[in-house]
This record gives sequence, structure tokens and C-alpha cells, in this order.
Amino acid sequence: MRKSYRRRFVSLSIWILATAGIPAGAHGLHAQVSQTSQPSPPSPDQREILLLEATPIGALPPIPLPMPASRNQSYFGLRLQYGDREDPNEAHLTALAAGLDLQYRGGSVIGITGGYQKRDCIALGANCGGHTMFGIRSRLNVLTGGQTIGQLFKDYSSTTTLGGEWGLGYSPDVLPGVASCTLDFGMPVTISLGQRVRVASFLTPGVMWDMGCRNAGTPSRRVYLLGFGFGLQQLQSRGLDLYLGLQKIFRKSAGYQVGLSITYVRLP
Amino acid sequence: MNRVRVFAGLTCAMAISAAVGCMLTVKPEELGPADVETTLFLIGDAGEADPRESDRILDSLTAQASAAPSRTIIAFLGDNVYPNGIPEEGQAEYADARRRLEAEVNAIPMGARGIFLPGNHDWAGEGAFGLYAIRLEEKMIASMAGGRNIRMLPGNGCPGPVAVDAGRLRFIALDTQWWLHGFIVRDAESKCPTTTAAVTAALREQVTEKQPGRVVVVAGHHPLMTGGTHGGYCGVAGPFRRFGGNAQDILSGLNLTMRDSIEAAFSAQPPLVAVGGHDHNLQVLKGDKNVRFILVSGAGSMAKVECAVRLRESYFVAHHRGGFMRLDIMRGKGVLLRVFQYQGSGAGGLAYSRWLELK
Repeated sequence: MRKSYRRRFVSLSIWILATAGIPAGAHGLHAQVSQTSQPSPPSPDQREILLLEATPIGALPPIPLPMPASRNQSYFGLRLQYGDREDPNEAHLTALAAGLDLQYRGGSVIGITGGYQKRDCIALGANCGGHTMFGIRSRLNVLTGGQTIGQLFKDYSSTTTLGGEWGLGYSPDVLPGVASCTLDFGMPVTISLGQRVRVASFLTPGVMWDMGCRNAGTPSRRVYLLGFGFGLQQLQSRGLDLYLGLQKIFRKSAGYQVGLSITYVRLP
Repeated sequence: MNRVRVFAGLTCAMAISAAVGCMLTVKPEELGPADVETTLFLIGDAGEADPRESDRILDSLTAQASAAPSRTIIAFLGDNVYPNGIPEEGQAEYADARRRLEAEVNAIPMGARGIFLPGNHDWAGEGAFGLYAIRLEEKMIASMAGGRNIRMLPGNGCPGPVAVDAGRLRFIALDTQWWLHGFIVRDAESKCPTTTAAVTAALREQVTEKQPGRVVVVAGHHPLMTGGTHGGYCGVAGPFRRFGGNAQDILSGLNLTMRDSIEAAFSAQPPLVAVGGHDHNLQVLKGDKNVRFILVSGAGSMAKVECAVRLRESYFVAHHRGGFMRLDIMRGKGVLLRVFQYQGSGAGGLAYSRWLELK
């Protein structure tokens, strides 16, 4: 009887050690393999795409022009954004960022963004991990009206906003010792419908340059990008908006980016 | 696959939240006549009545006000005569100017009280003749009233404020064009405050005078907030209007000074409502710490209705629709706002209602 207990105890111990040890061993083996076979550095194409997608301009989802507000004061707003980019080779980049915006006299906005992007492990192999990213963006409401679109939708509370935007993005450590600096200009348009909760849809065509800063080694190159999305404005609270955005950088193998943005504007 | 599920889930959550938001819309309330203490109608920029047919907006106003005229006040919020107020008798424009004003005075049913506030167009379209024109209009209103309680407030080209008390309601009339006018605003006949500081002090005093359950409504032609043309919205010129320096626009420095002074007077005892016209649309807006609700009711002329943009502060916006607003001050407690809007064809009616003070 006693022998039987001892046998069971030994069997259980072996099973625990085995289950715990197999992954550890596998991980060690994997590490050994990784160390022995260093991945080839990213191809020039992959490198260019990574640099474009490493700053808030390419890493975060598009958002619409700001909802108009009273000219009586300026408003501070907070922004949380999550972006997920996947390219045709199944590689993907995820980014999370927070931002602070100032809406001047109820119209145009200037904002700063800070975030973190998880590197693409498939493209970079052992160098995968993450890097910080920073950006500044200004959006100017140029035309704000409503009647034309309102008549199409039979919604006389609709608002159409056409504007301009520009942004600067910086990421200090996209690849070892390599930074990314990007600049973009866009001409977004937003249409919002509804009286209580507003349904907003937006299009953000733009052009973007990789400025080739610190060891980037690539010449400044222009690419076009197009964002699209929709969302809900004044969701329960008058200052809370939620947007779903999709962005395409027109560059071979750049893939698509999908993301979510939550913004909150504090009203007096 | 998981990401697709996450996004699908979030999209559904957004749609459900939207649906919940839609269900929160306040339904129109039917009030018993005995419940209402005072009814205040607010109609602005009505100085362009149709010269051929009866005016649908004014007709509807008259019909509603006729239900209980003895407890009804109708406030015309300025721009009572387009385009340049009342000219001197004998001028070619005189007859038409008189027709425009007559249409409004006749819309006030027998027994109801009428208050005409001055607007920038009544001040001779912001011209040098303004002070004279505003006094002519005051005299013409008095002669048309024929002994009824219909008058221009503030009178004699004064800036106000002038308080009118009716039960729980305190209606304070301001002449905001007095603040913005670029020509003479006082002369030897003016017996009123001569500085903006004196006007602000008087306004503060009138607003803060406490009485249990008092409902304070401050009215002037120029709104304290707007999503219309004068707010720098509607059209490509919007954001660039700030560089034009037009005192009629919210973005101008002079207009901002006026609004800041008025709001400063409110700070000790925020009124329930600040109402204006000027922009030719209907807007119900959330105020700030100095005033609870801001109304824009400047859609009194069908021929002049314009665009309005929905702001973050907007509760309701009706653009390219004529109409007016109605405040029912209930006995005890409760103030109900109703917005009536009409299309060019004449179709329309109640478009929005909201309790500004809970019953």
C-alpha cells in the first residue's frame, strides 16, 4: 500500500517536471536556434515600410475633423488610440497611444501624441520588442456647413466639415540605431448626422513623406495615404466620441491598418 | 480572427449605445391650461414678412398666443424691420417699413403683452442714423399699439437692462446693438446709463435680486453663443470672418467684450435662459457656468432662414426652417421649452421640447 503511494508520488512529480520542462526546454532550444541563425536584416522595402509605419501618422488610425463647438472658449481633449496594421505577409504592428488636444475657440485643433508600437517580429526576428513614438498634429476646419448633404439624407441637423491637416511624427528607435521622422498633409472631410448621438463618417486623403532622419538611410520619399472611418459622437456624454478607422498607405506590401480611437472633450 | 471579433463587438456596442441615446429624446408634453402661469413666446428677426400672403410663422404664433392672451408675453428679439429700420416719414422706404412692423404688431392678440427689442437692422442697419431710427420705431410701435401693452424695450435708444416681472418670470431686456454700434448712441435726450460698466452693474443687480422660484430670462438681439453664420460657421468664409473684425460676429473683439461683460454680470446668480436672435435659425444650446441655457430664435422670417451647425453644446438645431420658441412657466415649478419650426410650404409644427426646470 505504502509502496503504491510512493510510486504515485514519483509519477506525479515526473509528470509535473515534464510538463513544466518541455516548454522551457523548447524555449531554450528556440533561443539557441535564434542565436545561432541571426535573421537577415529587413530588405530595403521592409525597412521603408517600417519607417513609414513607425510614427503616429502611420501607426495610429485616422480620426475625423473636430466637432464644432462654441467660439466662446477653447477646449482641452484627451485621446486614446489603438492601431493594428497587417500586411500581406501576415506580419503585423500594433500601437497604443494617448494624446492631448487643444481645440481653439471651438474650431481648429492642435494636439500632441505619445505612444508605443510593438515591433514586427516576423520582419525583424531577434530585434522584435517595441519602440516609443511621438507626434504633433494640427487640424483646421475650413468649411463647416450642412444643407447640401442634409438634403441628400433628409437630415437637417447634418454637418459637413472640410478642412486641412498636417502632422509630424517621430520615433527614436524603430530599428537599432535608426529613427523615423515623417510628415504628412491631408484634406479630410467629415459628415455627421443625427440630433442626439451623432453618427460621423470621414475620409482622410493625404500625402506623407519619410524625412530620412538619424541613420534612416532612405531618401525622402512621398507616399499617398487614405483613411476612412465612422464613429459615434456625443456618446452618452456630450464630449465623448468613439471612432473606428481604417488606413491604407499606398505602398506595396504596406497592408491595411484598423484601429479605434476614443476622444473626450471637456465642456465647461 | 480574434481581432475581427473584437472590432465586431465594439461596433455592436457603438450601435447599441446610439440606440439607447435615441430613446432618451424628450417627448412633447401636454399641459393643462391651469398649470401654466406665464407663457413667453420668443421670435426674432421677423422684419421680413411676406408682402403678398399671410405669414405662416406669425399666424401660428398668434393662434397659440390667443389661447390665453392675458398670461402671454410675446418678445420680438430685434431686427423687427429689414433692412434699415424705420426711415423718416416721406422717404420711399417708409411705407414698406411700416408694413413690416405692422405685421408683427398685428400678430400680438388682444390682451397679450408685446415687447420689441432693438436689433442691428433697427439701428438703421448699423448706420449713423441708428439712434434716430430706433426712436422712430419706438414711436411707431406705440402708435400701432393703440393703448395695448405693446412697447419697445429698452426704450429711447437706451441700452437697458429693463426688467419685466410676470409671476415667477423676470424678463430682462437688453439692447445689445448699443454696445456694438459704431456711431452715436446717446444724446441730450438719453436718460440712461452712459457706460458699459454701468449697464453691467445694473444687469448684475437685476439678475441677482432673489425671489423664491424666480425664473430669469435675459434677452438681447445678439446671442451669447451660436453655430450660425455670425458664429463663424456655415460656408467657406466661416473661419476667416474673425479677420474681418465685424462687430456683429461672435469672433470679433468688440462682440466678445460685450458677451464677457454680460456673462460676468450673470456670475453671481446664473439666469435660467439667455436668448437672442441675429442668426436666422433655431438653436437650443447648453450654457456654461454663468447661464444654464442659451437660445437662438432668429427664424421669424421665412425669407431669411439660414444654416446652423450643430455644436457640442447644441441640444437642438433647426436650420433653413422658420419658427419661434415658447416657454411655459408652470405654477410652482417647471419651465417647459418648445420649439416650433415651419418649412417654406407652410408645413411644420412642434419640433422639440425640453424641461429647462424640472416639474
